[in-house]
Amino acid sequence: MAARAIEIQGLVKDYGAFRALHGVDLAVERGEAFGFIGPNGAGKSTTIRCLLDLLRPTAGVVEVLGVRDLAAHPELRARIGYLPGELTMPGQQTGRELLRYFASLRGGAGLDRIEPLADRFGLALDRPVRGLSKGNKQKIGVIAAFMHAPELLILDEPTSGLDPLLQQELLALARESTAAGATLFISSHILSEVEAVAARVAILRAGRVVEVAEVRALRERAGQHVLLRFAAPLDDEAARALAEAPGLSEVTIEGDELRGLLRGPPDRLLKMAARHEVLRWSAVDRNLEELFLDHYRQPSAAGDEGAG
Amino acid sequence: MIAAPPILAQLLRERRRPLATWALALAGVCGMYTSLYPYMAGANLDAMLEALPKGLVEALGYDQIGTAAGYVGSATYGLVALALLLVFAIGRGAAILAGHEESGALELELTSPASRAAIYDQRLAALWLEVVLLVAAVYAVTLAFDLGQELGISIADLSIATLQLALVIGLFGSLALVAGAATGRKGIALGVAAAVAVVSWMFNAIGPTLDLEWMARISPIGWYMADNPVTRGFHPVDALLLVSASALLIALGRRRFLRRDLMT
Repeated sequence: MAARAIEIQGLVKDYGAFRALHGVDLAVERGEAFGFIGPNGAGKSTTIRCLLDLLRPTAGVVEVLGVRDLAAHPELRARIGYLPGELTMPGQQTGRELLRYFASLRGGAGLDRIEPLADRFGLALDRPVRGLSKGNKQKIGVIAAFMHAPELLILDEPTSGLDPLLQQELLALARESTAAGATLFISSHILSEVEAVAARVAILRAGRVVEVAEVRALRERAGQHVLLRFAAPLDDEAARALAEAPGLSEVTIEGDELRGLLRGPPDRLLKMAARHEVLRWSAVDRNLEELFLDHYRQPSAAGDEGAG
Repeated sequence: MIAAPPILAQLLRERRRPLATWALALAGVCGMYTSLYPYMAGANLDAMLEALPKGLVEALGYDQIGTAAGYVGSATYGLVALALLLVFAIGRGAAILAGHEESGALELELTSPASRAAIYDQRLAALWLEVVLLVAAVYAVTLAFDLGQELGISIADLSIATLQLALVIGLFGSLALVAGAATGRKGIALGVAAAVAVVSWMFNAIGPTLDLEWMARISPIGWYMADNPVTRGFHPVDALLLVSASALLIALGRRRFLRRDLMT
Protein backbone atom coordinates (compact mmCIF):
# COMPACT_ATOMS: atom_id res chain seq x y z
CA MET A 1 0.00 0.00 0.00
CA ALA A 2 1.40 3.36 -0.98
CA ALA A 3 1.98 5.77 1.87
CA ARG A 4 0.01 8.98 2.03
CA ALA A 5 1.35 12.06 0.29
CA ILE A 6 1.42 13.95 3.57
CA GLU A 7 0.86 12.65 7.07
CA ILE A 8 1.28 14.98 10.01
CA GLN A 9 0.59 13.96 13.58
CA GLY A 10 0.75 16.23 16.60
CA LEU A 11 3.11 18.68 14.96
CA VAL A 12 4.32 21.27 17.44
CA LYS A 13 6.67 24.07 16.47
CA ASP A 14 8.12 26.61 18.86
CA TYR A 15 10.08 29.69 17.93
CA GLY A 16 11.83 30.34 21.18
CA ALA A 17 9.06 30.96 23.69
CA PHE A 18 6.41 31.42 21.00
CA ARG A 19 4.42 28.35 20.03
CA ALA A 20 3.47 28.65 16.35
CA LEU A 21 1.93 25.20 15.95
CA HIS A 22 0.00 23.54 18.77
CA GLY A 23 -0.23 19.99 17.49
CA VAL A 24 -1.29 19.92 13.86
CA ASP A 25 -2.86 16.72 12.52
CA LEU A 26 -3.28 16.34 8.80
CA ALA A 27 -3.52 13.55 6.25
CA VAL A 28 -3.41 14.12 2.51
CA GLU A 29 -3.98 11.13 0.25
CA ARG A 30 -2.03 10.43 -2.91
CA GLY A 31 -3.51 12.10 -5.97
CA GLU A 32 -5.68 14.40 -3.90
CA ALA A 33 -6.04 18.16 -4.38
CA PHE A 34 -6.01 19.53 -0.87
CA GLY A 35 -6.48 23.09 0.31
CA PHE A 36 -4.81 24.42 3.44
CA ILE A 37 -6.75 27.43 4.59
CA GLY A 38 -6.27 29.83 7.41
CA PRO A 39 -5.86 33.50 8.24
CA ASN A 40 -2.43 35.07 8.01
CA GLY A 41 -0.31 34.02 10.97
CA ALA A 42 -2.24 30.81 11.59
CA GLY A 43 0.84 28.70 10.85
CA LYS A 44 0.33 27.63 7.22
CA SER A 45 3.83 28.54 6.10
CA THR A 46 5.33 27.12 9.27
CA THR A 47 3.65 23.79 8.58
CA ILE A 48 4.77 23.83 4.95
CA ARG A 49 8.35 24.63 5.97
CA CYS A 50 8.32 21.59 8.22
CA LEU A 51 7.31 19.47 5.21
CA LEU A 52 10.36 20.78 3.35
CA ASP A 53 12.78 20.33 6.24
CA LEU A 54 13.48 24.05 6.44
CA LEU A 55 12.10 23.91 9.96
CA ARG A 56 12.62 21.06 12.40
CA PRO A 57 9.55 20.09 14.42
CA THR A 58 9.63 20.66 18.16
CA ALA A 59 7.43 17.59 18.54
CA GLY A 60 5.28 15.36 16.40
CA VAL A 61 5.62 13.29 13.27
CA VAL A 62 5.91 14.58 9.73
CA GLU A 63 5.83 12.07 6.91
CA VAL A 64 6.08 13.08 3.26
CA LEU A 65 5.62 10.53 0.45
CA GLY A 66 6.36 7.79 2.94
CA VAL A 67 9.56 9.35 4.29
CA ARG A 68 9.72 10.21 7.97
CA ASP A 69 13.29 11.28 8.61
CA LEU A 70 13.24 14.31 6.33
CA ALA A 71 16.63 15.59 7.51
CA ALA A 72 18.29 12.36 6.44
CA HIS A 73 16.63 12.29 3.02
CA PRO A 74 17.12 15.53 1.12
CA GLU A 75 16.77 13.56 -2.14
CA LEU A 76 13.08 13.21 -1.29
CA ARG A 77 12.69 16.84 -2.38
CA ALA A 78 13.37 15.81 -6.00
CA ARG A 79 9.82 14.42 -5.89
CA ILE A 80 8.37 17.69 -4.57
CA GLY A 81 7.63 20.93 -6.38
CA TYR A 82 7.48 23.89 -4.04
CA LEU A 83 6.30 27.39 -4.80
CA PRO A 84 7.04 29.75 -1.89
CA GLY A 85 4.62 32.50 -0.97
CA GLU A 86 7.19 35.24 -1.26
CA LEU A 87 9.88 34.52 -3.72
CA THR A 88 13.19 36.36 -3.88
CA MET A 89 15.54 35.59 -6.72
CA PRO A 90 19.20 36.31 -7.20
CA GLY A 91 19.35 39.10 -9.76
CA GLN A 92 22.12 39.08 -12.34
CA GLN A 93 21.15 35.95 -14.19
CA THR A 94 18.47 35.44 -16.79
CA GLY A 95 15.38 33.39 -16.12
CA ARG A 96 16.73 30.64 -18.35
CA GLU A 97 20.04 30.43 -16.46
CA LEU A 98 18.25 30.36 -13.14
CA LEU A 99 15.79 27.66 -14.23
CA ARG A 100 18.60 25.59 -15.69
CA TYR A 101 20.33 25.90 -12.35
CA PHE A 102 17.26 24.66 -10.46
CA ALA A 103 17.08 21.76 -12.91
CA SER A 104 20.75 20.96 -12.31
CA LEU A 105 20.03 20.72 -8.58
CA ARG A 106 17.60 17.94 -9.48
CA GLY A 107 20.05 16.16 -11.72
CA GLY A 108 18.66 17.86 -14.83
CA ALA A 109 15.03 16.82 -14.34
CA GLY A 110 12.66 19.17 -16.13
CA LEU A 111 15.21 20.88 -18.40
CA ASP A 112 13.09 20.07 -21.45
CA ARG A 113 9.99 21.69 -19.96
CA ILE A 114 11.50 25.12 -19.32
CA GLU A 115 10.78 26.43 -22.83
CA PRO A 116 7.22 25.12 -23.20
CA LEU A 117 6.23 26.35 -19.74
CA ALA A 118 7.83 29.76 -20.37
CA ASP A 119 5.85 29.98 -23.62
CA ARG A 120 2.69 29.04 -21.85
CA PHE A 121 3.11 31.73 -19.21
CA GLY A 122 4.53 34.31 -21.60
CA LEU A 123 7.84 34.63 -19.77
CA ALA A 124 10.86 36.13 -21.56
CA LEU A 125 13.64 33.76 -20.54
CA ASP A 126 16.52 35.91 -21.79
CA ARG A 127 16.03 38.89 -19.53
CA PRO A 128 17.94 39.31 -16.28
CA VAL A 129 15.78 38.38 -13.31
CA ARG A 130 16.64 41.67 -11.62
CA GLY A 131 14.63 43.67 -14.16
CA LEU A 132 11.54 41.46 -14.08
CA SER A 133 8.25 42.48 -12.54
CA LYS A 134 6.96 40.67 -9.48
CA GLY A 135 4.53 38.71 -11.64
CA ASN A 136 7.30 37.59 -13.97
CA LYS A 137 9.50 36.50 -11.09
CA GLN A 138 6.55 34.53 -9.79
CA LYS A 139 6.33 32.83 -13.19
CA ILE A 140 9.91 31.63 -12.79
CA GLY A 141 8.92 30.22 -9.41
CA VAL A 142 5.90 28.48 -10.96
CA ILE A 143 8.03 26.91 -13.69
CA ALA A 144 10.64 25.83 -11.13
CA ALA A 145 7.91 24.15 -9.09
CA PHE A 146 6.23 22.33 -12.00
CA MET A 147 8.94 21.59 -14.56
CA HIS A 148 10.13 18.28 -13.14
CA ALA A 149 6.58 16.91 -12.95
CA PRO A 150 6.79 16.25 -9.19
CA GLU A 151 4.64 13.74 -7.35
CA LEU A 152 3.74 16.32 -4.74
CA LEU A 153 3.12 19.99 -5.42
CA ILE A 154 3.27 22.32 -2.45
CA LEU A 155 2.03 25.78 -3.34
CA ASP A 156 2.17 28.36 -0.56
CA GLU A 157 -0.26 31.21 -1.24
CA PRO A 158 0.44 30.76 -4.94
CA THR A 159 -1.96 33.32 -6.33
CA SER A 160 -0.82 36.32 -4.30
CA GLY A 161 0.91 38.78 -6.58
CA LEU A 162 -0.36 37.15 -9.77
CA ASP A 163 -2.71 38.90 -12.12
CA PRO A 164 -6.06 37.11 -12.58
CA LEU A 165 -5.16 35.67 -15.97
CA LEU A 166 -2.00 34.16 -14.57
CA GLN A 167 -3.88 32.84 -11.54
CA GLN A 168 -6.19 30.97 -13.89
CA GLU A 169 -3.27 29.57 -15.85
CA LEU A 170 -1.52 28.45 -12.68
CA LEU A 171 -4.63 26.75 -11.36
CA ALA A 172 -5.16 25.10 -14.75
CA LEU A 173 -1.59 23.79 -14.59
CA ALA A 174 -2.26 22.52 -11.09
CA ARG A 175 -5.40 20.72 -12.27
CA GLU A 176 -3.49 19.11 -15.13
CA SER A 177 -0.90 17.89 -12.68
CA THR A 178 -3.46 16.30 -10.40
CA ALA A 179 -5.19 14.77 -13.42
CA ALA A 180 -1.81 13.19 -14.24
CA GLY A 181 -1.68 11.73 -10.74
CA ALA A 182 0.21 14.32 -8.74
CA THR A 183 -0.88 15.37 -5.26
CA LEU A 184 -1.62 19.05 -4.77
CA PHE A 185 -1.24 20.82 -1.45
CA ILE A 186 -2.22 24.44 -1.80
CA SER A 187 -2.43 27.01 0.96
CA SER A 188 -4.34 30.25 1.01
CA HIS A 189 -6.04 32.66 3.34
CA ILE A 190 -8.91 32.89 0.86
CA LEU A 191 -11.16 29.87 0.38
CA SER A 192 -12.33 30.96 -3.07
CA GLU A 193 -8.74 30.82 -4.31
CA VAL A 194 -8.42 27.13 -3.65
CA GLU A 195 -11.97 25.90 -4.10
CA ALA A 196 -11.49 25.94 -7.86
CA VAL A 197 -8.90 23.16 -7.57
CA ALA A 198 -9.22 21.57 -4.14
CA ALA A 199 -11.87 19.05 -3.22
CA ARG A 200 -11.02 18.98 0.46
CA VAL A 201 -9.62 21.61 2.75
CA ALA A 202 -8.20 21.78 6.23
CA ILE A 203 -8.77 24.95 8.18
CA LEU A 204 -5.89 26.06 10.34
CA ARG A 205 -6.39 28.56 13.08
CA ALA A 206 -3.90 29.69 15.70
CA GLY A 207 -1.65 26.70 15.09
CA ARG A 208 -4.33 24.00 15.06
CA VAL A 209 -6.35 22.27 12.40
CA VAL A 210 -9.87 23.13 13.49
CA GLU A 211 -11.65 21.46 10.64
CA VAL A 212 -11.19 19.19 7.65
CA ALA A 213 -14.07 19.27 5.21
CA GLU A 214 -15.23 18.94 1.63
CA VAL A 215 -15.09 22.32 -0.03
CA ARG A 216 -18.71 22.04 -1.10
CA ALA A 217 -19.94 21.37 2.40
CA LEU A 218 -17.85 24.18 3.77
CA ARG A 219 -19.12 26.61 1.20
CA GLU A 220 -22.70 25.66 1.97
CA ARG A 221 -22.16 26.15 5.63
CA ALA A 222 -20.35 29.42 5.10
CA GLY A 223 -23.33 30.79 3.26
CA GLN A 224 -23.83 33.96 1.29
CA HIS A 225 -24.75 37.50 2.15
CA VAL A 226 -27.92 38.13 0.20
CA LEU A 227 -29.64 41.37 -0.58
CA LEU A 228 -33.04 41.89 -2.15
CA ARG A 229 -34.55 45.26 -3.03
CA PHE A 230 -38.16 45.44 -3.98
CA ALA A 231 -40.14 47.97 -5.94
CA ALA A 232 -42.24 48.76 -2.89
CA PRO A 233 -41.77 48.38 0.88
CA LEU A 234 -42.83 44.96 2.11
CA ASP A 235 -45.90 44.66 4.24
CA ASP A 236 -45.60 42.85 7.57
CA GLU A 237 -46.97 39.57 6.36
CA ALA A 238 -44.73 39.38 3.30
CA ALA A 239 -41.74 40.41 5.42
CA ARG A 240 -42.43 37.70 7.98
CA ALA A 241 -42.82 35.05 5.28
CA LEU A 242 -39.55 36.01 3.61
CA ALA A 243 -37.69 36.17 6.91
CA GLU A 244 -38.65 32.57 7.52
CA ALA A 245 -37.40 31.34 4.14
CA PRO A 246 -35.45 28.08 4.49
CA GLY A 247 -31.73 28.60 5.12
CA LEU A 248 -32.04 32.31 5.77
CA SER A 249 -30.81 33.83 9.02
CA GLU A 250 -29.65 37.13 10.46
CA VAL A 251 -32.42 38.82 8.52
CA THR A 252 -32.92 42.56 8.57
CA ILE A 253 -35.73 44.21 6.64
CA GLU A 254 -35.79 47.97 6.25
CA GLY A 255 -38.54 49.29 4.05
CA ASP A 256 -37.99 47.89 0.58
CA GLU A 257 -34.73 46.13 1.38
CA LEU A 258 -33.99 42.69 2.80
CA ARG A 259 -30.58 41.54 3.94
CA GLY A 260 -29.63 38.21 5.40
CA LEU A 261 -27.30 35.28 5.52
CA LEU A 262 -28.30 32.37 3.31
CA ARG A 263 -27.03 28.85 3.79
CA GLY A 264 -27.91 26.17 1.29
CA PRO A 265 -29.60 26.60 -2.10
CA PRO A 266 -31.31 29.94 -2.81
CA ASP A 267 -34.20 28.32 -4.66
CA ARG A 268 -36.96 28.78 -2.08
CA LEU A 269 -35.98 32.32 -1.19
CA LEU A 270 -35.91 33.39 -4.84
CA LYS A 271 -39.29 31.86 -5.58
CA MET A 272 -40.83 33.58 -2.59
CA ALA A 273 -39.21 36.89 -3.52
CA ALA A 274 -40.43 36.59 -7.08
CA ARG A 275 -43.99 37.11 -5.86
CA HIS A 276 -42.98 40.74 -5.46
CA GLU A 277 -41.29 42.99 -7.96
CA VAL A 278 -37.50 42.63 -7.39
CA LEU A 279 -35.32 45.59 -8.41
CA ARG A 280 -31.99 44.32 -7.20
CA TRP A 281 -30.54 40.99 -6.13
CA SER A 282 -27.07 40.18 -4.90
CA ALA A 283 -25.48 37.19 -3.25
CA VAL A 284 -21.88 37.42 -2.06
CA ASP A 285 -20.02 34.40 -0.75
CA ARG A 286 -18.94 35.02 2.78
CA ASN A 287 -15.23 35.32 3.05
CA LEU A 288 -13.33 32.89 5.13
CA GLU A 289 -12.49 35.33 7.85
CA GLU A 290 -16.18 35.35 8.74
CA LEU A 291 -16.16 31.59 8.75
CA PHE A 292 -13.29 31.69 11.20
CA LEU A 293 -15.40 33.91 13.40
CA ASP A 294 -17.92 31.06 13.51
CA HIS A 295 -15.13 28.88 14.80
CA TYR A 296 -14.19 31.42 17.45
CA ARG A 297 -17.76 31.35 18.64
CA GLN A 298 -17.80 27.59 18.95
CA PRO A 299 -17.46 26.50 22.58
CA SER A 300 -15.05 23.67 21.62
CA ALA A 301 -12.51 26.20 20.47
CA ALA A 302 -13.03 28.61 23.34
CA GLY A 303 -11.03 26.88 26.05
CA ASP A 304 -7.64 26.85 24.40
CA GLU A 305 -7.01 30.46 23.37
CA GLY A 306 -4.21 32.25 25.12
CA ALA A 307 -1.19 32.20 22.83
CA GLY A 308 -3.09 33.78 19.93
CA MET B 1 22.23 11.46 -5.02
CA ILE B 2 23.10 14.92 -6.27
CA ALA B 3 26.81 15.37 -6.92
CA ALA B 4 28.82 18.27 -5.57
CA PRO B 5 29.39 20.61 -8.51
CA PRO B 6 26.09 22.41 -9.38
CA ILE B 7 25.94 24.94 -6.54
CA LEU B 8 29.63 25.78 -6.78
CA ALA B 9 29.41 26.05 -10.56
CA GLN B 10 26.41 28.36 -10.27
CA LEU B 11 28.17 30.58 -7.71
CA LEU B 12 31.26 30.97 -9.84
CA ARG B 13 29.17 31.65 -12.93
CA GLU B 14 27.19 34.45 -11.32
CA ARG B 15 30.32 35.93 -9.70
CA ARG B 16 32.47 36.33 -12.80
CA ARG B 17 31.95 40.06 -13.18
CA PRO B 18 32.21 41.23 -9.56
CA LEU B 19 35.27 39.03 -9.10
CA ALA B 20 36.97 40.47 -12.15
CA THR B 21 36.24 43.98 -10.86
CA TRP B 22 37.68 43.16 -7.46
CA ALA B 23 40.77 41.52 -8.95
CA LEU B 24 41.45 44.53 -11.19
CA ALA B 25 40.91 47.02 -8.38
CA LEU B 26 43.16 45.09 -5.99
CA ALA B 27 45.85 44.66 -8.61
CA GLY B 28 45.64 48.35 -9.47
CA VAL B 29 45.94 49.59 -5.89
CA CYS B 30 48.68 47.12 -4.95
CA GLY B 31 50.54 47.83 -8.19
CA MET B 32 50.37 51.54 -7.52
CA TYR B 33 51.76 51.16 -4.01
CA THR B 34 54.53 48.84 -5.11
CA SER B 35 55.47 51.02 -8.05
CA LEU B 36 55.94 53.96 -5.67
CA TYR B 37 58.74 52.24 -3.80
CA PRO B 38 61.70 53.34 -5.96
CA TYR B 39 60.60 56.97 -5.58
CA MET B 40 60.07 56.64 -1.84
CA ALA B 41 63.42 54.96 -1.42
CA GLY B 42 65.05 57.82 -3.29
CA ALA B 43 63.28 60.48 -1.24
CA ASN B 44 65.19 59.89 1.97
CA LEU B 45 62.64 57.73 3.64
CA ASP B 46 64.69 57.37 6.78
CA ALA B 47 64.57 61.08 7.49
CA MET B 48 60.82 61.03 7.05
CA LEU B 49 60.40 58.13 9.45
CA GLU B 50 62.64 59.72 12.06
CA ALA B 51 60.27 62.65 12.16
CA LEU B 52 57.47 60.33 13.34
CA PRO B 53 57.17 59.00 16.91
CA LYS B 54 58.92 55.64 17.21
CA GLY B 55 55.87 53.89 18.70
CA LEU B 56 53.68 54.98 15.82
CA VAL B 57 56.20 53.81 13.26
CA GLU B 58 56.32 50.39 14.91
CA ALA B 59 52.56 50.15 15.27
CA LEU B 60 52.18 50.88 11.57
CA GLY B 61 54.90 48.37 10.75
CA TYR B 62 56.86 51.08 9.01
CA ASP B 63 60.12 50.38 10.84
CA GLN B 64 61.26 48.11 8.00
CA ILE B 65 60.08 50.34 5.26
CA GLY B 66 63.60 51.08 4.09
CA THR B 67 63.93 47.84 2.09
CA ALA B 68 61.73 46.76 -0.80
CA ALA B 69 60.62 43.63 1.04
CA GLY B 70 59.93 45.64 4.18
CA TYR B 71 58.05 48.26 2.18
CA VAL B 72 55.85 45.76 0.33
CA GLY B 73 55.28 43.91 3.59
CA SER B 74 54.19 47.09 5.36
CA ALA B 75 52.37 48.98 2.65
CA THR B 76 50.64 46.31 0.55
CA TYR B 77 50.71 42.89 2.24
CA GLY B 78 50.50 44.40 5.71
CA LEU B 79 48.07 47.24 5.04
CA VAL B 80 46.30 47.97 1.77
CA ALA B 81 45.90 44.47 0.37
CA LEU B 82 45.17 43.08 3.82
CA ALA B 83 42.50 45.66 4.56
CA LEU B 84 40.81 45.41 1.17
CA LEU B 85 40.86 41.63 1.20
CA LEU B 86 39.44 41.54 4.72
CA VAL B 87 36.61 43.82 3.62
CA PHE B 88 35.96 41.58 0.63
CA ALA B 89 36.13 38.26 2.47
CA ILE B 90 34.04 39.35 5.44
CA GLY B 91 31.40 40.90 3.20
CA ARG B 92 31.34 37.90 0.92
CA GLY B 93 31.40 35.38 3.76
CA ALA B 94 28.39 37.08 5.35
CA ALA B 95 26.50 37.32 2.05
CA ILE B 96 27.18 33.94 0.52
CA LEU B 97 25.07 31.99 2.99
CA ALA B 98 23.31 34.14 5.61
CA GLY B 99 22.75 37.03 3.23
CA HIS B 100 20.98 34.87 0.70
CA GLU B 101 19.12 32.96 3.37
CA GLU B 102 17.87 36.19 4.92
CA SER B 103 16.83 37.72 1.60
CA GLY B 104 15.00 34.53 0.64
CA ALA B 105 17.15 34.01 -2.46
CA LEU B 106 18.30 30.67 -1.05
CA GLU B 107 14.80 29.27 -0.61
CA LEU B 108 14.59 27.27 -3.83
CA GLU B 109 18.09 25.89 -3.32
CA LEU B 110 17.36 24.87 0.27
CA THR B 111 14.15 23.15 -0.81
CA SER B 112 15.85 21.39 -3.73
CA PRO B 113 17.24 17.87 -3.34
CA ALA B 114 20.63 19.39 -2.49
CA SER B 115 21.51 18.51 1.10
CA ARG B 116 22.28 21.18 3.64
CA ALA B 117 25.79 19.78 3.86
CA ALA B 118 26.28 20.17 0.10
CA ILE B 119 24.98 23.74 0.22
CA TYR B 120 27.27 24.65 3.11
CA ASP B 121 30.33 22.93 1.67
CA GLN B 122 29.96 24.30 -1.82
CA ARG B 123 29.29 27.84 -0.67
CA LEU B 124 32.31 27.63 1.60
CA ALA B 125 34.40 26.28 -1.26
CA ALA B 126 33.23 29.14 -3.49
CA LEU B 127 34.27 31.66 -0.84
CA TRP B 128 37.75 30.15 -0.53
CA LEU B 129 38.13 30.02 -4.31
CA GLU B 130 37.25 33.68 -4.58
CA VAL B 131 39.74 34.51 -1.81
CA VAL B 132 42.49 32.50 -3.50
CA LEU B 133 41.79 34.19 -6.81
CA LEU B 134 42.03 37.70 -5.36
CA VAL B 135 45.12 36.89 -3.30
CA ALA B 136 46.66 35.52 -6.48
CA ALA B 137 45.94 38.86 -8.19
CA VAL B 138 47.83 40.68 -5.42
CA TYR B 139 50.68 38.19 -5.71
CA ALA B 140 50.85 38.46 -9.49
CA VAL B 141 51.06 42.22 -9.60
CA THR B 142 53.58 42.41 -6.75
CA LEU B 143 55.73 39.74 -8.34
CA ALA B 144 55.56 41.54 -11.66
CA PHE B 145 56.92 44.75 -10.12
CA ASP B 146 59.49 42.83 -8.09
CA LEU B 147 60.89 41.24 -11.24
CA GLY B 148 60.25 44.14 -13.61
CA GLN B 149 61.78 46.85 -11.45
CA GLU B 150 64.34 44.53 -9.87
CA LEU B 151 63.23 45.33 -6.34
CA GLY B 152 65.08 42.30 -5.06
CA ILE B 153 62.27 40.88 -2.91
CA SER B 154 62.88 37.16 -2.34
CA ILE B 155 60.34 35.22 -4.38
CA ALA B 156 60.28 32.55 -1.68
CA ASP B 157 59.45 35.12 1.00
CA LEU B 158 56.79 36.72 -1.17
CA SER B 159 55.24 33.35 -1.99
CA ILE B 160 55.13 32.33 1.66
CA ALA B 161 53.62 35.69 2.61
CA THR B 162 51.01 35.13 -0.11
CA LEU B 163 50.15 31.69 1.21
CA GLN B 164 49.74 33.05 4.73
CA LEU B 165 47.71 35.98 3.39
CA ALA B 166 45.33 33.53 1.74
CA LEU B 167 45.08 31.62 5.03
CA VAL B 168 44.26 34.66 7.16
CA ILE B 169 41.81 36.11 4.63
CA GLY B 170 40.19 32.70 4.29
CA LEU B 171 39.95 32.51 8.07
CA PHE B 172 38.08 35.80 8.40
CA GLY B 173 35.87 35.00 5.42
CA SER B 174 35.11 31.65 7.02
CA LEU B 175 34.38 33.34 10.33
CA ALA B 176 31.78 35.54 8.64
CA LEU B 177 30.28 32.58 6.76
CA VAL B 178 30.20 30.46 9.92
CA ALA B 179 28.63 33.20 12.05
CA GLY B 180 26.02 33.54 9.31
CA ALA B 181 25.54 29.79 9.01
CA ALA B 182 24.96 29.56 12.74
CA THR B 183 22.52 32.46 13.00
CA GLY B 184 21.05 33.04 9.55
CA ARG B 185 21.65 36.74 10.04
CA LYS B 186 23.93 38.68 7.73
CA GLY B 187 24.25 41.58 10.14
CA ILE B 188 25.50 39.33 12.92
CA ALA B 189 27.92 37.64 10.53
CA LEU B 190 29.35 40.99 9.41
CA GLY B 191 29.50 42.38 12.94
CA VAL B 192 31.20 39.39 14.51
CA ALA B 193 33.81 38.98 11.78
CA ALA B 194 34.54 42.70 11.48
CA ALA B 195 34.87 43.08 15.25
CA VAL B 196 37.26 40.13 15.54
CA ALA B 197 39.31 41.47 12.61
CA VAL B 198 39.64 44.95 14.10
CA VAL B 199 40.56 43.63 17.54
CA SER B 200 43.05 41.19 16.01
CA TRP B 201 44.67 43.93 14.04
CA MET B 202 44.89 46.20 17.09
CA PHE B 203 46.29 43.44 19.29
CA ASN B 204 49.01 42.73 16.75
CA ALA B 205 49.80 46.41 16.27
CA ILE B 206 49.85 47.68 19.83
CA GLY B 207 50.84 44.52 21.73
CA PRO B 208 54.55 44.79 20.91
CA THR B 209 54.66 48.51 21.65
CA LEU B 210 53.18 47.84 25.11
CA ASP B 211 55.53 44.90 25.68
CA LEU B 212 52.48 42.65 25.93
CA GLU B 213 53.59 39.86 23.63
CA TRP B 214 50.53 37.69 24.31
CA MET B 215 48.34 40.17 22.46
CA ALA B 216 50.06 39.47 19.16
CA ARG B 217 50.30 35.77 19.99
CA ILE B 218 46.52 35.33 20.21
CA SER B 219 45.81 37.52 17.19
CA PRO B 220 45.14 35.84 13.81
CA ILE B 221 46.54 38.98 12.18
CA GLY B 222 49.64 38.38 14.32
CA TRP B 223 49.80 34.78 13.11
CA TYR B 224 49.80 36.14 9.61
CA MET B 225 52.29 38.95 9.79
CA ALA B 226 53.70 39.66 13.25
CA ASP B 227 55.76 42.77 12.41
CA ASN B 228 56.05 42.20 8.66
CA PRO B 229 54.45 39.44 6.57
CA VAL B 230 57.06 39.48 3.79
CA THR B 231 60.32 39.66 5.71
CA ARG B 232 59.35 37.22 8.47
CA GLY B 233 59.47 34.11 6.28
CA PHE B 234 57.66 30.85 6.99
CA HIS B 235 56.32 30.23 10.48
CA PRO B 236 54.88 26.71 10.55
CA VAL B 237 53.24 27.15 13.94
CA ASP B 238 51.44 30.33 12.89
CA ALA B 239 50.37 28.79 9.58
CA LEU B 240 49.07 25.78 11.49
CA LEU B 241 47.17 28.07 13.88
CA LEU B 242 45.52 29.81 10.92
CA VAL B 243 44.55 26.51 9.31
CA SER B 244 43.32 24.98 12.57
CA ALA B 245 41.25 28.02 13.48
CA SER B 246 39.53 27.89 10.09
CA ALA B 247 38.97 24.14 10.32
CA LEU B 248 37.49 24.41 13.81
CA LEU B 249 35.16 27.26 12.86
CA ILE B 250 34.08 25.52 9.68
CA ALA B 251 33.27 22.32 11.56
CA LEU B 252 31.26 24.18 14.21
CA GLY B 253 29.35 26.21 11.63
CA ARG B 254 28.56 23.12 9.60
CA ARG B 255 27.27 21.28 12.65
CA ARG B 256 24.97 24.16 13.53
CA PHE B 257 23.78 24.71 9.95
CA LEU B 258 22.75 21.07 9.63
CA ARG B 259 20.68 21.24 12.79
CA ARG B 260 18.98 24.59 13.01
CA ASP B 261 15.78 26.00 11.53
CA LEU B 262 16.37 27.76 8.22
CA MET B 263 14.73 30.86 6.78
CA THR B 264 13.11 31.92 10.04
